[in-house]
Amino acid sequence: MKRIESRLNTASAEFLANAAHNRKLAEAFKEKQRAVRHDRPARDIERLRAQNKLLVRERLAQLCDPGTPFLELSSLAANEAYDGEVPGAAVVSGIGIVAGREVVINAGDASVKGGAWYPLGVKKTVRALDIAIENRLPVVHLCDSAGGFLPLQAELFADKYYAGRIFRNQCMLSKMGVQQVAVVLGHCTAGGAYVPGLSDYNIIVRGTGAIFLAGPPLVKAATGEENTVDELGGADMHTSVSGTADYPASSEQEAIAIARDIVAQFSRQPKTAIEWQTPEAPYYDGSELYGVLPRDIKQGFDMHEVIARMVDGSRFHEYQPAYGKTLICGYAHLWGYKIGILANNGVLFNDSALKGAHFIELCNQNKTPLVFLQNITGFMVGREYERRGITKDGAKMIMAVSNSEVPKFTVMCHGSFGAGNYGMSGRAFDSRFLFSWPQSQTSVMGAEQAANVLAEVKIRQLAKQGKSLSKADIDAIREPVLADFKRKQSAYWSTSEIWDDGILDPLDTRNALGIALSASLNAPIAEPRYGVFRM
Amino acid sequence: MNSTLADWPFNAVLVANRGEIAVRVLRTVQKLGLKGIVVYHAADRATLAVKMADQAIEITGATPVAAYLDAAQILAAAKTSGAGAIHPGYGFLSENAGFCAAVENAGLIFIGPKPAQITLMGDKVRARNFVEKGGFPVAPSAIEDDDPQTFNARARKVGTPLLIKPSAGGGGKGMRIVRDLAVLDEEILRARSEGQRYFGDGRLYVERYIENPRHIEVQVLGDSHGNVVHLFERECSVQRRFQKIVEETPSPALSAELRNRICETAAGIARSAGYRNAGTVEFIFGPSGEYYFLEMNTRLQVEHPVTEEITGKDLVHEQLRIAAGEPLGYTQAQVTAQGHAIEFRIYAEDASRGYTPTTGPILRLQAPQGEGVRWDSGVLQGGEVTAAFDPMIAKLIIRGRDRSEAIARADKALKDTILLGCKTNTAFLRRLIAHPAFVAGDVHTGFLDANPQIAAEPELSAETLRALLAAAALSTRTLRDGADAVLDLHAAIGAWTN
Amino acid sequence: MHHAFSFNGDDHLLTLSRTTTAYCLHLGDEVYAIDLRNHQDDTATLVIGEQSLEVVIATQGDEVFVHLDGEVYQLRYRHPLERLAASQAGNSEDAIRAPMPGSLVVVAVQAGDAVVRGQLLLVMESMKMETTINAPRDGVVHAITYEKGQTFDRDAMLISLLPLAIEK
Repeated sequence: MKRIESRLNTASAEFLANAAHNRKLAEAFKEKQRAVRHDRPARDIERLRAQNKLLVRERLAQLCDPGTPFLELSSLAANEAYDGEVPGAAVVSGIGIVAGREVVINAGDASVKGGAWYPLGVKKTVRALDIAIENRLPVVHLCDSAGGFLPLQAELFADKYYAGRIFRNQCMLSKMGVQQVAVVLGHCTAGGAYVPGLSDYNIIVRGTGAIFLAGPPLVKAATGEENTVDELGGADMHTSVSGTADYPASSEQEAIAIARDIVAQFSRQPKTAIEWQTPEAPYYDGSELYGVLPRDIKQGFDMHEVIARMVDGSRFHEYQPAYGKTLICGYAHLWGYKIGILANNGVLFNDSALKGAHFIELCNQNKTPLVFLQNITGFMVGREYERRGITKDGAKMIMAVSNSEVPKFTVMCHGSFGAGNYGMSGRAFDSRFLFSWPQSQTSVMGAEQAANVLAEVKIRQLAKQGKSLSKADIDAIREPVLADFKRKQSAYWSTSEIWDDGILDPLDTRNALGIALSASLNAPIAEPRYGVFRM
Repeated sequence: MNSTLADWPFNAVLVANRGEIAVRVLRTVQKLGLKGIVVYHAADRATLAVKMADQAIEITGATPVAAYLDAAQILAAAKTSGAGAIHPGYGFLSENAGFCAAVENAGLIFIGPKPAQITLMGDKVRARNFVEKGGFPVAPSAIEDDDPQTFNARARKVGTPLLIKPSAGGGGKGMRIVRDLAVLDEEILRARSEGQRYFGDGRLYVERYIENPRHIEVQVLGDSHGNVVHLFERECSVQRRFQKIVEETPSPALSAELRNRICETAAGIARSAGYRNAGTVEFIFGPSGEYYFLEMNTRLQVEHPVTEEITGKDLVHEQLRIAAGEPLGYTQAQVTAQGHAIEFRIYAEDASRGYTPTTGPILRLQAPQGEGVRWDSGVLQGGEVTAAFDPMIAKLIIRGRDRSEAIARADKALKDTILLGCKTNTAFLRRLIAHPAFVAGDVHTGFLDANPQIAAEPELSAETLRALLAAAALSTRTLRDGADAVLDLHAAIGAWTN
Repeated sequence: MHHAFSFNGDDHLLTLSRTTTAYCLHLGDEVYAIDLRNHQDDTATLVIGEQSLEVVIATQGDEVFVHLDGEVYQLRYRHPLERLAASQAGNSEDAIRAPMPGSLVVVAVQAGDAVVRGQLLLVMESMKMETTINAPRDGVVHAITYEKGQTFDRDAMLISLLPLAIEK
């Protein structure tokens, strides 16, 4: 495997301007993330302290092995929703290391609206459990939630992927033999009661933890029966009378220590073996990624330069280097793991789509996980390309992507527009993990194009009526479309809606992919089987 | 002179003791080509004495100590094993006249004095009276036996501070200082109870307690032909709980003239008693050079090695020769001394907690080595220190050309002494010998009480604490396994988060 | 922090992690690269950052003994489950432990006896000294662990009183 030779001039004005721009974007992202993680109204913190509760980040620190990574998922979920008042969607999820084991952590954040379940919080939890299912990762639930957010119940309760899916996913995990432990650190009321109830093991903190289908006020209203919280669903009742909970704990610290001890009992299945060699840092400095990425979404750049700053030793075996050059395909190692990379270097033509489909088949044959690096404006359009069957060649690529059995990982590096999003394993195509870079954009088409298309439609309609539009009228049509598109194609909107698993500082991508790759190998890789390729 | 007898009247010697002194006696017995036999209680099975003896015979008792006090079993063991002599070591039956007589009645040789001498000197009261009558110096006192009815009143007249001692006692057991006459009666009762328990004898005596005294004792040897010599003094002033912990010779407190006088006094007392065996005459030595007879120990002393180190005499060998009826074969003028020797009692104890004994397994044991270093011990790695016996586990004896060389060597030897599993006093002893007063030889029996900072655990630096925690963490399976359980990838990435 | 060693009566919280080349000791917010290299003669070299120290270490159960620069230190490992459960335990006065190793010479009460504060419970003997053990509070004797004449180690539970809550 040959080292990629960078053609980047790191002293150029262009590079330095890019670097400054992207570094600023990364810093802005990190600051937003910091605020979401830590900025809380003082009274919420004081209330938790008064209850002798730890903050969710403190719980995570106690739960995870020291000196190990934590890959947080969707840290900015719901950030553009609910007037920005539900940071992180009141849930913290991620992949952490507990007793050496990779586990999915699903933790309620009681410092946000008492940990209430918002629609996006439910979506985030369901996604975390999907990750557990797809990668066969044990789950640790840290339960501390006020229950469903009633004003929005219609958007979180009944649909297929709403709250019921959480419990359905828990049952699937159990059936698969993937173990779960729940730590009851607050009240688990109504649906929430099933999270510990459906876990293989659960621990409940005496005094603050409680599990019941209905809390004391609801019971009083329903039957007139008067109860204290402890009588109705406290630690001692559940661990000694009902058997709903397994281990009583006298403090949160003890409860988490018990959870760690339980996870340490989980048997560790051998991971799926794929090609691996001793890891090596990239030859080129990863921080140069900031200088690689252009400031303008419309400007192209050489994706080889990105690959060179992400993979082991910056080494890359390029497949078909001279054919379909707008899609770079090839092998590399990342944190030692052999991967197949598909990276956009321009619009997808017929040959690039065929090359991509072929390469995906190769990787499935030799059990090589796939990494998609997206910077795609779409498949080429126009008569010539339609005549060459651009649609059917694109369909082949989408067929290969959809039926691929090796784990897929997608990074939204820059633009992701149109069907290119699909061909490059967008959210709908079950990548095990999908991350976005701060400046990346995702939408059916570019904002300018969309505004122009809509203005054009309007102009034609009016022209039929014999009317014409002034420049100001046209701008009045374009501007709101442009603004709405710009907002909703930004990475911050995507991540708020959980169309991805979180925004990454480009520099963090190598580690995030390493952790994700390692986690994905807990699940077996099936033999590939495809549908019908339109030939 | 001092040569090995071609024909010993015994060819096997039974050691009726345990621990380091059993080892010490066996070493000489075996060196002389004699068979060394020990008795042992099961609690001592894993000790060096049992391992090195030519024959070891198990004895039993309600407690381990009781076994070693059981004369009948010991005599039976001697009979079975064909031992012709019994060496009692120190403690246990070493100063028990009844045992001594029983040994002789069984036709065996007691490596020690005659029963009558034990009776005379082993009883503090009688010994004191005897010494006083001989014109030797004694401190003001009151003896219960003289008239039990008036004992408390007479004790009061001795004046404070005073010291209550069991008449039958030794080694500091059951002694109590009284500074306030208001508690005298109460303390007498307590001392009596302790005496009763330790010695089966509740009789007491009281004597004036000399503030800040030194404890100086003189080693004597007497044969059955009436020859008595002294082997110079030992200074044993550094004590805790009335027990010696550091002994040295020569005493830094004595001028040549005073040394000669006190040693001659000791030899005179032994001579007047017609003493046979190695013995020790103990004196209390006041700040202004006055000294009083304290007691005489009619046995080998714990701290005898320092005398051996400077005189070149093997005291156990001398005891055997004397018991065999040999004359000393040398005169006082022929006894010479060279250099300086210090003995450190290595105790299983926690100096910082009032010298309370510690117990535990001996997980690692590495004796110090080097020029002038002698290690007398009965314990082995893999053994255990229990509460059943005295907490002394070894003696470190250091010889140097002079006192300062001995102290320097001692510091290194104490530092190199490794005994893990049971806290010992080695670090405390290092602090002690680094103290300016000790370096100057300016100590007294209350020295440690007056300088409690020596016993206190020194403040630990953050750096040392960190090293200890690092060592402990890496030696604890649970912690190490926990760290090892982390996959290489995660270990390499470390505490990263996105 | 998950783990602890008790040393001189204090619990020191710490954790251990590893990199690919060394172990890491976490103390509060500080992290130190550490390693322990054992030699054939039972000694070992302890490496902390740039510093190397010669040590001898022995363990038994949870006890760790470290000989460092002429001093011996004893630390006791405290498993998080033990430590965190114990931190909530009941009144320490309910269990009377031996201040030092020794043996019992007097047992003045028996299980079920009502005792008043200061009342003689036991007399133990150690280091040739008698120590009396009196009731720390009014209460009822729950159990006496040893019989007269039996020996015990330091911190052995000698006698327990019924917890006040149960008594009532």
